[in-house]
Amino acid sequence: MIREYIDSGILEAYVIGAASEQEEKEVLRMKAKYPEVKEALLQLELDMEKVARHTAIIPPTGTWDKIEREINEITPRPEVKPAKFSRTFKPNNDKDNGFIEVGSTSTHMRIHKNWRWVFAAVFVLGKIFLGCAIYFYLENRQAQLQIKELKTEISHYQK
Amino acid sequence: MVDKNFESSGITVPNNHVSALYNQYAGMLLGYIFEVVKNMTVAEQYLIAVFKDVPYELGELTKPGSNVFCQLQIIARKKLAGFFDSVHNCEDGAERRPAIANTNNKYIGTMNSEQQLVFCGIYWHGKTISRLAIELDKTEDAVKKILKECFTTIRNSSR
Repeated sequence: MIREYIDSGILEAYVIGAASEQEEKEVLRMKAKYPEVKEALLQLELDMEKVARHTAIIPPTGTWDKIEREINEITPRPEVKPAKFSRTFKPNNDKDNGFIEVGSTSTHMRIHKNWRWVFAAVFVLGKIFLGCAIYFYLENRQAQLQIKELKTEISHYQK
Repeated sequence: MVDKNFESSGITVPNNHVSALYNQYAGMLLGYIFEVVKNMTVAEQYLIAVFKDVPYELGELTKPGSNVFCQLQIIARKKLAGFFDSVHNCEDGAERRPAIANTNNKYIGTMNSEQQLVFCGIYWHGKTISRLAIELDKTEDAVKKILKECFTTIRNSSR
């Protein structure tokens, strides 16, 4: 019976990759059960190697480097364990908790939209104060000139 | 040599394990893939794709009793499945021509034309037993018997 199974050609179909899924399962079951099947499969696999060795081609230079680069690009994702529920909230200050820290490295800050009215008011008041400062400066200079003129006139009359 | 931990799969896979497999089997695999795709650039891309998957399949590849080359070839055949399908689609409307990939091959050369059709059809053209049975107007068992004869021829010609 085993001889018939081996001679049926199913092992060859399995080794060359033409067996159906059901046949594959059957072959693996028979391989585990019967040493003759295991031995026959081993021999067939060596035959496949012989054919492949006869058509072997030396890979182009740099192929391994490309493969190595591709493998190294595959970064394993660290497993993030969810925090256990507790009634008292404890902030997680662990830096290696899987989140990216952006606050310390970013040069920008975000504020609430309501602050724009405060900034607008500060800007307008700043302009008003600047206008007042210029006005009173000019008024003051004018007054200083008038005082100077009056002083000159008084001294002129006293003489 | 960079070590890579594939934590998600629970195994540690140093690149030098993959490198050792590459040194031993890349030439044979490239030769096989080249016979299928008939283009060195495309063949190299498929080779890279196969070895990129090796770290994930290392457990299966190094399992006692399994032939590493045959396992690698199964991975390659899975990658080539799309290519096999496209070749089949192209052939559908055209006149059926012998599926002989490489008559220069020492082992293939010693086979008769029917054996060549079966072996090359499955090995290099990814045809299934049932498809070949329809093409050759034979039963699936008869195709398996021819496949067995192919392996006997390979074994005899290597002696």
